[in-house]
Amino acid sequence: MSTGFIDGMKREIRRMTGRKMYIFGMLAVPLFMAFFFLDLLSPGLPNQVPTAVVDLDHSSMSRTVTRSLSALQVLDLNERCESYDEALEMVRKGKIFGFFVIPSDFEKNALAGNVPTLEYYSNMTYFVPGTLAFKGFKTVAVATSGGVVQQTLVSLGATPEQISSLVQPLDLQINALNNPWMSYAIYLCPSFTMATFVLMIMLMTVFSITMEVKTGSSVEWLGTAKGNIWIATASKLLPQTVIWVAVGIFIQWLFFGLSHFPLNGSIGWMLLATVLVVIASQGVGLFVSSVVPNPRLAFSLTALFGILSFSFTGFSFPVESMYGWLGIFSYLAPIRYWFLIYINEALNGVGIYYSRYFFVALIVLPLVACSLLPRLRRACLKPVYVP
Amino acid sequence: MYLDMSMFTKISSWSLSASRVFRNEFGLMIHDIGILLFFVVLPLLYPVVYTLIYNPEVVRKLPVAVVDDSRTAESRNLVQKASASPSLQIYDYCSDMAEARVLMAEHKVFGVMHIPGSYARDIANGEVAHVAFYSDMSLLLRYRTFVAALTDLQIEVIQDITGEKISSTGLGSLAADRTVPIASEAQMLGDTEQGFASFVIPGIVILILQQSMLLGICMLGGTSRERKRRNGGFDPKEVPASPSATVWGRALAYTVFYFPMTIYILRIIPEIFNLPHYGNPVDYLLFILPLLLSTAFLGQALNYFMKERESCFILIVFTSVFFLFLSGLTWPRYAMSEMWTWIGNLVPAVWGVEGFIRINSNSADLPEVATAFTAMWILAAVYMLAAWLVVWKMRTKKVESKI
Repeated sequence: MSTGFIDGMKREIRRMTGRKMYIFGMLAVPLFMAFFFLDLLSPGLPNQVPTAVVDLDHSSMSRTVTRSLSALQVLDLNERCESYDEALEMVRKGKIFGFFVIPSDFEKNALAGNVPTLEYYSNMTYFVPGTLAFKGFKTVAVATSGGVVQQTLVSLGATPEQISSLVQPLDLQINALNNPWMSYAIYLCPSFTMATFVLMIMLMTVFSITMEVKTGSSVEWLGTAKGNIWIATASKLLPQTVIWVAVGIFIQWLFFGLSHFPLNGSIGWMLLATVLVVIASQGVGLFVSSVVPNPRLAFSLTALFGILSFSFTGFSFPVESMYGWLGIFSYLAPIRYWFLIYINEALNGVGIYYSRYFFVALIVLPLVACSLLPRLRRACLKPVYVP
Repeated sequence: MYLDMSMFTKISSWSLSASRVFRNEFGLMIHDIGILLFFVVLPLLYPVVYTLIYNPEVVRKLPVAVVDDSRTAESRNLVQKASASPSLQIYDYCSDMAEARVLMAEHKVFGVMHIPGSYARDIANGEVAHVAFYSDMSLLLRYRTFVAALTDLQIEVIQDITGEKISSTGLGSLAADRTVPIASEAQMLGDTEQGFASFVIPGIVILILQQSMLLGICMLGGTSRERKRRNGGFDPKEVPASPSATVWGRALAYTVFYFPMTIYILRIIPEIFNLPHYGNPVDYLLFILPLLLSTAFLGQALNYFMKERESCFILIVFTSVFFLFLSGLTWPRYAMSEMWTWIGNLVPAVWGVEGFIRINSNSADLPEVATAFTAMWILAAVYMLAAWLVVWKMRTKKVESKI
């Protein structure tokens, strides 16, 4: 038995070194995508949103408003527009993501108590810059209004204490727990890098198994393990597991070592979660290959599941807000559990107790996958290639 | 005269062989179930699945725990107002922060509102009352929903307090009409409801068009490579034609095949799901033509790397994630480094996403997206040359015996 296992591993290592596809899929893609996400999102927030101001008043008060808009770090107020239509055209051309309109006679009406209206437009077709522009505009609109109130109250003889409690009697402070910078890197890098990593694990597992069926070498593969599908599978997948785990741990170092992402719990549990998500993802690949040993169908199903898992595992839109039946799929995706462990252990540091079921799920998934091995064995013995 | 005739015969024989390639490629496509899966099922299904995932559009009733150390009419009033917001749901009262933290760790609540003991006293004394809210940051969408709901809550409560106070301070008669000297109004352009599907789907569908076509072309290419290996460097299902006629014949076959798919994806999907669709169909159908053409050429150029029928799954699938981010849908392009901007410039769908969103959601017309439109035509020309080179090179290459 043990010789079959070692022969199988030797055979698999020969296969892996014999095709560039393995280097590409197992090393190049996961490492490149990790570098890509880390580098792309490294500024944290996409500040300096291109925006414009439409000043129809040209008064000292409107110039003050323009100055406070330019002073905001979140906005890049590099365009001056003479009319609403001109600004709207700039939005349609994609030159700006929003604009702020100061109406004519703004100063006159404000001082006369005629309540002029400041209007601001944010292009929500791009969520992030639209939201940031909105936030910047709102800050200035509120501050402008508050400033005039303060001025008026002072002129009416109110004391500073009266003023502050009149202008702002309630301060509702919103604290962003463990990501006070609202960094997109911390928010998106771990989930998207690891989801890409997991996608490649599933695809390469399908690749290494179904190509045996395609070329008919599955008979010889099984022969190496003397017909024992368990030994054959273990000896095939274990050398890959070693490489995946090494890549996975390196990616964790990129997150928590190099990039100093929040790690409020223990790195040990994160590493264990990474090892388990590797094995569980290999399990998914194995499961699909057992159900449909036809390479094209197995690949299609895996790609479908892997790509959709970016969405239905709720990295950006919460699972509990989706239609109930879609949430079910999220429980089949190994990356969902890694993501939840990451939130609990690394981001929030709430203790391993709260992640216990996620670890259990990661252990159960590959066990379920193995249940179909007898089916895979039959397919390996009589390999049929359907193009 | 003789020269003109020869020009004419050359052109007509070129068109003839290109049309033979076109017909042959069409036949290969519709008789291959794997290709049909990419060219038909994928573009039909994916937009529907994606829209279903994001169709609830907004996050509502986010569960919140309340730690009320004030326990007064004022603090109860605040919580009552909070629970009236459609975005918030008061999950439970907790006796202290530790208890609330447990609820948060169990993912039963995503926010905690802490009202300090001095809350009512501060209001009564005319001081600034402080309330702290703690938001879970696993999803920015939740945080954003909290911020929007709490800002409204704050404004509502302030108006209440200020209203009462003004009548009590005696300043009322003087300041009553001046508490809001300047009004402000926020207008949302494009995705006016700020829904998630409305924002993400118009971009994703363009990527689906490009990626499904690339996958199909690369599968056709890989399959042809396998036939060549089996037949000593000769693909029996290929028709004899010059490299340029081959490249053009195929590209037109893919583009024509994709026209019904394009109308379905760009016109019917937004209508069924009631997503923004303000664009003029003539504008966006014309706009999408260079996207289809450049993708058809790009796919043929990429065939250089497709040694097997299934190669595309390893080489192409992951690029969907890469291209999605390069398109600026998640992280805007103005904030990208020069390197990623330039790599993005080489991807037809990056321009396609940008232009289509502006036409579809901001009702831009074709001249207003001229940059993207021109860029895609340039890419079509570049990838046509690349595809021509690949076809030419593969014909002169020595016979491949194995992978």
